[in-house]
Amino acid sequence: MTATALSKMVGSREGGILERVVLAVTFGLVVLFAVFIDGFATTGNLRVVLSNSASLVMLSCGMAVVIISRGLDLSLIAQMVAGATIFSVMVSGGSPASVALLVAIVAMALVGFVNAFLIAYVGISAMLATLASAMFVTGVFRFAILRGEFILLLPKSNPAVMFLAGNILPGVTVPVALMIVTLIATALLLKVSTAGSVIYAMGDNYQAARLTGLPVRRATVIVYVFASITALLAGLVTSAASGAVDFRTVSSGTLLFDVILVVVLGGIPLRGGRGGIRNILIGAALIAVLRNGMTLMNFTTQTQDALRGLVLILAIVIDNYLNPRDTETDTVGDL
Amino acid sequence: MIAQPVVSLENVTKTYGNTAALAGANFDLMPGEIHALVGENGAGKSTLCKLIAGVVTPSEGVLMIDGQTVTFSSPKDASRLGISMVYQETSLVPQLTVAQNIFLGRERVFNSVRHVRSAARQVLQRLNFKVDPSQLAGTLSAAKRQMVEIARAVFNQARVIILDEPTAALTPEETDHLFDLMQSLQKSGVAIIFISHALEEALTYADRISVLRNGRMMTTGPAADFDRAKLIHHMIGDELKEQGKMPVARRPPRSALPVLRVENIRMGSMVNNMSFSIFPGEITGLAGLIGSGRSEVAKVIMGHTKRNFGGGRIWLDGREVRYGVPAQAVADGIAYISEDRKLDGFFDTLSIAENIGLGWLAKFGGRRLITPRARMRTLAREWVDRLSIRSIGVERPVLYLSGGNQQKVVIAKSLIQNPRLVIFDEPTRGVDVGAIAEIRQIIRGFADSGAGVILISSYLPEILDTCDRILVAKSGTIAAEFSRAEASAASILNAAIH
Repeated sequence: MTATALSKMVGSREGGILERVVLAVTFGLVVLFAVFIDGFATTGNLRVVLSNSASLVMLSCGMAVVIISRGLDLSLIAQMVAGATIFSVMVSGGSPASVALLVAIVAMALVGFVNAFLIAYVGISAMLATLASAMFVTGVFRFAILRGEFILLLPKSNPAVMFLAGNILPGVTVPVALMIVTLIATALLLKVSTAGSVIYAMGDNYQAARLTGLPVRRATVIVYVFASITALLAGLVTSAASGAVDFRTVSSGTLLFDVILVVVLGGIPLRGGRGGIRNILIGAALIAVLRNGMTLMNFTTQTQDALRGLVLILAIVIDNYLNPRDTETDTVGDL
Repeated sequence: MIAQPVVSLENVTKTYGNTAALAGANFDLMPGEIHALVGENGAGKSTLCKLIAGVVTPSEGVLMIDGQTVTFSSPKDASRLGISMVYQETSLVPQLTVAQNIFLGRERVFNSVRHVRSAARQVLQRLNFKVDPSQLAGTLSAAKRQMVEIARAVFNQARVIILDEPTAALTPEETDHLFDLMQSLQKSGVAIIFISHALEEALTYADRISVLRNGRMMTTGPAADFDRAKLIHHMIGDELKEQGKMPVARRPPRSALPVLRVENIRMGSMVNNMSFSIFPGEITGLAGLIGSGRSEVAKVIMGHTKRNFGGGRIWLDGREVRYGVPAQAVADGIAYISEDRKLDGFFDTLSIAENIGLGWLAKFGGRRLITPRARMRTLAREWVDRLSIRSIGVERPVLYLSGGNQQKVVIAKSLIQNPRLVIFDEPTRGVDVGAIAEIRQIIRGFADSGAGVILISSYLPEILDTCDRILVAKSGTIAAEFSRAEASAASILNAAIH
């Protein structure tokens, strides 16, 4: 009875047992942390959690759209730092912020387009295509712009950087505002636009979508370019907040890991075809709470990684158990 | 001394879902005999073999080996008793050598390469195979791969070898060699079952022949008692003959210009120089055995399959076309309704309305930015009524529907595109009996509206009942063409098999 009540509250229509489990676990953790950790249940901490998860949510929006179309984008983090690099180098060099933003958007859209081209036209698997482009982008940027360094410092006093790190309204930071914009854009793309209809169809059954005559290639391009733009926005707010573009975020893999974690834990199956921003929010809530709680408890990053790994494996096992492969399709042709 | 059958099936039934692939079949295999299994597509030949090889387990009935009742839980159990099956698609590991493949599953912890190779060479020599044991299996021709599989069966001391259409990919010389080999194995006491669509092979090389039809064992007897006509008679039965002489329906006058004309289409090894024309207002049946290249040619026309395209020309309404992706074919008014709706027909997480609506969106969505959901829902509702799709509501997942209604949704998804030509690939497969008639009526009605229809079906009564003109595909070419009046089950089958 509680389960149905909860599902009504969440508005779940189909399946969605995993997201209910995750939601319940998140509530449990919040209660636990609030009782046992000093300073967890404060408005200040809440604001920190929100701001810190802004870029995670933005990246997750991009990744969710890709995964719903039955793709995968391992180059998101590389694009995030590359986009931030272009922007910072240009504003440091004296270009107006609007021009820098435009150039960064065009460059990242190009990366997204190349990803989509490799996947939809050349026919390379999404995992390999985006892995290769991640390595290529990281390599080129570190070689050509950072000259082998890992870190690019931002001009802290630049008005554009100050704007990105500041408040847009009293109490609402720019990252949070951008996060909300990204969430709305994702919802519009998925649920309102024609591309969204194609994205769900191809995620559900790519061959059927293709044979029906749906523009699956065009949708693939839209999906990966959209993911690139979310990565760029995430890169801008992250680097503005920390004052540096750090290429170690790519090589450490933790962030990419968190993004996939958010999507999968939120209940978007890697098979594609299902999910929406509700799932992103649920997944992000758990990861944000977990991150914040573990940091407040002074867990080392190694312990945090280990715990997250455990959580992901658990989630995937539960997901596989709850959404088994259709056994009937396996036996077709036996007659 | 009366020999005991090495394999025997008593009253065996195998059901998949609610269809029986094999119904109450009895079958005996004597030691040292070559036994041919013949029958139409879906008659239950493969199922019978898989039961013996332990790949599937009987739903009812008893399987006996050497007079002992056995229950196989996996092919391993069967192979322990000396039963080996050689599949149509060979199961060799392409990255391993011939010798390693022969030894597969029998390796010891430490394998001496030389030992493995010399033992493999012995087996190959005993069978008079000219295959180099150190060659990689992936580099072998189809015929040699099959030989290696047989060698593996012999090496594993198989007493029963089952061959699923062994000659389908072989040249005449290779076929001769294979049957020589089968005869020499037979002399050493090995019993052989082979499935074949080439009736002459069965008549020439088998000791006994069993004929299956619709999952039932029709007859078994010494090969000498049969001839081609008798076999075909058993394969199709009496009731079909009469059905074949259905009164000729009113035929719309054929328009001079075909909707679709294809010439010399070639694709890989499946389609060889296929040429035909499709006329408006007419249902053109495409009969033939599974693997005769029917679905493949449809997918080439649609632009779905491009790799291995070997040339050929396609005209739609007199204009030469060549599609790179199905979306272009759909835009020009061609729709293909696939033979396996679960695999590439419908979207199982989406609702009935969304499934049908996506068909509309694919054709008429154009450069629209926003999905017109309300409009798509109204149109979907219209089509649900037109095709009398029975459901509790168009917002329900399509997966909740029965097979027949699912198929109607897939058909609606294509017909909503207002196509000039629709290719129906096995449209009534896995469909409940009531819906079969309705689906045929839908197809008829659609053709009557002046569009072209290709109906691919492996089920002869469907072809005979529904089509105005019948093309018979064989080995990737059109082997024969019949008008509705000329066609009979026997004449189609005769043209379709070798």
